Amino acid sequence: MKTITLTLKKKSQIALEFDELIPDEVFDWEKDDFENYQVPVGNKRFPLTDYFDLEVEGTAEGPEEVKMILEGDCGRVKYIGCKMSAGEIIVNGDADLHCGAEMTGGKITVNGDAESYAGREMKGGELEIMGSTREFCGCSYIGDWRGMSGGKITLHGNAGKQLGECLSGGEIYVKGNCDILAGIHMTKGFIQIDGDVTRWPGGQMKNGNILINGKLGILLEGFVFDKIVKDPEIDGKSFSGKYIKYTGDIALNGKGGLYLNAEKNRELL
Amino acid sequence: MEYILKNGIVYDPANNIAGEKKDVMFKDGKIVDNVSSDAKVLDVTDKIVMPAGIDPHAHVAGPKLVVGRIYRPEDSRKGVTTKTDVCRSESGFSIPSCPATGYRYSRMGYGTVTEAAMPPLEAKHTHEEIMAIPNVDVTPLPLFGNNWFVLQWAKEGKIEEIAAFISSWLKITKGYGIKIVNPCGTEAWGWGGNVHGIDDPAPYFDVTAREVLRALSQANEMLGLPHSIHVHPNDLGHPGNFPTTINTLECVKDIEKSSGMRDQTIHLTHAQFHSYAGTSWRDVESGATEVADYINKNKHVTCDVGQITLDETTTMTADGPMEFDLHQLNGLKWANKDIELETGSGIVPFIYSGKAPVSSFQWAVGLELFLLIKDPWQVCLTTDHPNAGPFIRYPRIISWLMSSERRQEMMDNLEVRVWSYKRTSLGSLDRDYDFNEIATITRAAPAKIYGYQDRGELTPGYNADIAVYDLNPNDIDPIKEPAAIEKAFGNAMYTIKDGQILVKDGEVVKVVPSHTLWTNVNGFEEQEKAVMEQVMPTFNRFYTVKFENYKVHDHFTPYPIVTEVQAGK
Amino acid sequence: MAYEPPVTDYDEIVENCTCAFCGCNCDDLDFLVKDGHVVGVRHACRLGASKVMEDMDQRLLVPMIRDENGELQEVDWDTALDKAAELIAGAVRPIFYGWSETSIETMKHGIRLGELVGAVLDNQATICHGPSLQAVQNVGYPVATLGEIKNRADMIVYTGSNPMNSHPRHLARYTTFPRGWFRQRGRFDRTLVTMDPKYSDTAKMSDIWIGFEQNGDYGFYNAIRAALKGKEIDQDYVSGIPKEVIMELAEKMKNVQFGALYFGLGLTHTLSKQRNIDMAIEMLTDLNEYTKWVLTPMRGHFNVNGFNIFMAYEMGFPYGVDFCRGYQRYMNGETNTIDLLTRKECDVFMVIAADPGAHYPGGAVKHLAEIPVIQVDIHWGPSTEIADVVLPGSFIGVECGGTSYRMDGVPIYMKKAIDKPETCRDDEWIIRELLERVQKIKDEEAALASK
Repeated sequence: MKTITLTLKKKSQIALEFDELIPDEVFDWEKDDFENYQVPVGNKRFPLTDYFDLEVEGTAEGPEEVKMILEGDCGRVKYIGCKMSAGEIIVNGDADLHCGAEMTGGKITVNGDAESYAGREMKGGELEIMGSTREFCGCSYIGDWRGMSGGKITLHGNAGKQLGECLSGGEIYVKGNCDILAGIHMTKGFIQIDGDVTRWPGGQMKNGNILINGKLGILLEGFVFDKIVKDPEIDGKSFSGKYIKYTGDIALNGKGGLYLNAEKNRELL
Repeated sequence: MEYILKNGIVYDPANNIAGEKKDVMFKDGKIVDNVSSDAKVLDVTDKIVMPAGIDPHAHVAGPKLVVGRIYRPEDSRKGVTTKTDVCRSESGFSIPSCPATGYRYSRMGYGTVTEAAMPPLEAKHTHEEIMAIPNVDVTPLPLFGNNWFVLQWAKEGKIEEIAAFISSWLKITKGYGIKIVNPCGTEAWGWGGNVHGIDDPAPYFDVTAREVLRALSQANEMLGLPHSIHVHPNDLGHPGNFPTTINTLECVKDIEKSSGMRDQTIHLTHAQFHSYAGTSWRDVESGATEVADYINKNKHVTCDVGQITLDETTTMTADGPMEFDLHQLNGLKWANKDIELETGSGIVPFIYSGKAPVSSFQWAVGLELFLLIKDPWQVCLTTDHPNAGPFIRYPRIISWLMSSERRQEMMDNLEVRVWSYKRTSLGSLDRDYDFNEIATITRAAPAKIYGYQDRGELTPGYNADIAVYDLNPNDIDPIKEPAAIEKAFGNAMYTIKDGQILVKDGEVVKVVPSHTLWTNVNGFEEQEKAVMEQVMPTFNRFYTVKFENYKVHDHFTPYPIVTEVQAGK
Repeated sequence: MAYEPPVTDYDEIVENCTCAFCGCNCDDLDFLVKDGHVVGVRHACRLGASKVMEDMDQRLLVPMIRDENGELQEVDWDTALDKAAELIAGAVRPIFYGWSETSIETMKHGIRLGELVGAVLDNQATICHGPSLQAVQNVGYPVATLGEIKNRADMIVYTGSNPMNSHPRHLARYTTFPRGWFRQRGRFDRTLVTMDPKYSDTAKMSDIWIGFEQNGDYGFYNAIRAALKGKEIDQDYVSGIPKEVIMELAEKMKNVQFGALYFGLGLTHTLSKQRNIDMAIEMLTDLNEYTKWVLTPMRGHFNVNGFNIFMAYEMGFPYGVDFCRGYQRYMNGETNTIDLLTRKECDVFMVIAADPGAHYPGGAVKHLAEIPVIQVDIHWGPSTEIADVVLPGSFIGVECGGTSYRMDGVPIYMKKAIDKPETCRDDEWIIRELLERVQKIKDEEAALASK
């Protein structure tokens, strides 16, 4: 087991890019390697040690034996854990754009907020964010109709706009509230939102399921009332309570399921 | 500067040289008979030497390409490379950026490519992109098959007017020859419709594809253009379309050829998409045998194939209605681009997969055509890039053509589905192309078909456009080693263009601007003047640009190669 | 508006000039030239004519550099160019922004400069039709040239756009009023529809006005799509529009011969931004199952579309292209100007033919005031007030020629009509000079490093 601890000593105004510092790349790096490493910042590279104090303990045979701990406010560190396939990254602070994007395995925990694009195109693994995210959490790359396809994102705070855009697999759990258009264009997968949702969940969705335990602001006309279900089972998971189930988005002949907590959304009954 | 390519094994079909060990010499950009003792020696002992490749049909520059690039960042992202000391950064898989297009053709040993669909109104855009493509010369073909002037005159049988119009418009747009796409069908798409077969008239214009094809072919021969009409027939991609294809070829059979530079009077493009029997995708069967039979019996026809490569690609064609059908089939994002008075077009991403029965079937139909057409001078290697797959797959197709074993293996191990042999005759075809036939379908035949007088052969006086591949033909069995064939044809040992070494060992080592090939008709000035008097009132009323701003100014073709033609000669 | 007598005192007429104002790129303008100035413009709208004629109003004429006291001082070209080159060569996160009012020929040097130093190249799409491009990337782009509309369309819809004010000749020259091949009676053969919360000047002259509520765009178009699929609308009102009206409208749109929809920033900048366009494009696609429909964004500047086209054919992406890592990267929210400025990441900003000082949100302008700004432009504007180096360019389509792309993608070579002021330079020359000077600095750095 190798533990790599990077403690922020100077925050750069121009974001650092950490796509090269993932367990898959650094599992066999010694302390020297980190000290000699130049991290991309804008169009230049600067020594990593300009920004972080380093500690490396233990050894690893592969990425799965790596634990990276980023201490401090990483709100200007982009691409944390991007494309990682194994190992663990813990961010004790905020994370900048693309945290956990395209990851295929392993686990990332952010003990703070994450900027936009957290978990973009995620294929596997686990991304847990103790705070909130901004837009496009668990989304696709712009233009691609295939978004996050596997893995699990858990969000303890609130989700911004267009959560799970083009979701084509995997699971997203939001403990807090959610802004507009969750699950837009989704084709598969599951989104659960425990808090309130402003408006238009499931816009242009083709398939997959969205379950909302809070109150919904505005429902789209593209959703057709299906039935009232009690203790539904969705994608092999059981839920307790009464839900209003809609099917949509009819504009795309969508077969997506939208489950609204019946108690909280009484006026739709 | 003088060079001698020493001891290569030369394939130069135009000069009947098929695997002879000999030297190839060039000086100041041209092939020569002999050089002085100062000549620089490039040792290519026992390596394959051919004229540089010529792609007779691809979509590489122009408005619909850029729509593809704008609306498919997910494709652009796929091909991104870091810049080097020589090359700028690249992007794109199926729709590469302009610099990437040039580098990638160059790495395959190619020197010339036809941009097969240039809308005249946006010709400046096509030329701007050609300027941005390095290392490979580009031959743009303007679209005429749905042009309102042409439709009207075709209806009235006014061939001389059409000829004069073409003659003018080649000058105005800096175009090489006549491209026809789904004649009358694209005009019908102006109203959301299509035509079916060659005798279904366009709405309002009340003229049929047969009339348009014949009129344009007659005009083409009246002018004696270096290339014949270049035809994408009606009913592309529809099961049961092969009779339409044969009718299209047949309908110009009696028209007399006037140019001595070529043998054909009609070039059928992406024949694969036009060779289906059956009535629907449920009962579809191959019509390749019938189409190949017709071509085998008729010397007035040449074709290129449009081979499916089994990739995720981007389809784009001036066949607007076909693209909308495709969108309805696969549900992926649909782009459309209609051009006033002239043409339309559509763009849809498409995933051809060996796991899909239809893709497997289409893959097999293309190969059938290659293997069933007997004379390699009548068939060219294309993927209709990017429609059936990106051009970077040509080396892979070459490996399929040279190895019946590889084809069989793909069918046996289910790299392609059973429709590949149950619905086609591919399983029974054991022909293997040899290197000379490959040289024919990738260089000599396209050069002949386009009437090129400066490329496609290693004849003294011709451009020193040469490709060397790191293969010893006496030492390799292409049937057994398809991967080695693919690798070698994808990474030229040398690509030489106009006597300059652009690629060495698969790497671009030099970047040069590309030339634009266009045709200037002489001796038709009176007719052109008369026809412009007819055109201008209509032009002024119905176009949305002024005529002065319509034409392609000279500075859009900084490196032109002009084919001068004497009308009717 | 007072009566203005026609201009009769001029030396010559230059015909078929192209208007360098909006994305209509009207190319039928006649410039009346006297003493080397355009004194009158025929055929243009008031916006275009005033831009062309008042070319000397607040004109930037000489290069300037801001001194230590914060005052702009006139300098010679060498000094100004060297200063700009030095700033660009030393930058870590440079942005080259603008380009929408200059020529493709200028952009060609700009992209080389961007590749050389690893800059972000971005244009006004980032603050205007960027959301449209994002929507296009998600769901498609069914467009047609303006002449298709003129010749065929029997229904024209403007949504989130007020062309009577922003693109005054759009209706007159291209869509609504002109007589077309299949629309010989012009306006009488067409139905004009405006969908906009505002009862705009365009709405006033329309046959149908749908005044959906603000931020209701997405829900409204979703309801039309549901209606097109045959659903009986559940809610009595959707986005403030009675359901009967929605059902009736859907029916009308299905039954035209050829429909065209034009949308503006009213759609791109409400709550659900790109998703409004996304939905509108999908609605258009649905309609094509019944009849022919096309759409086009109402692009603002005369070459804003040109930059998107140019970047796409050169580099594969339309705007917000980041070269900092030695290859191109396009990521909305990361590689766009506004995001980089509000995050205070940019350290040198070059603006070419644009006025961020006038158009950017406060946070972005605030950061601009704190970093070196190089301005290449023809007029003094808010951006000049925050510029550290000012390089006076020339007026494309009036003082120098150049290629531009109309909103529908039609390329037009805008010709030169008069000479530029002697002390100014062509944009193309300025950017090429910068490229050469920065290259020289880079070569010297490389030579030094290799020693």
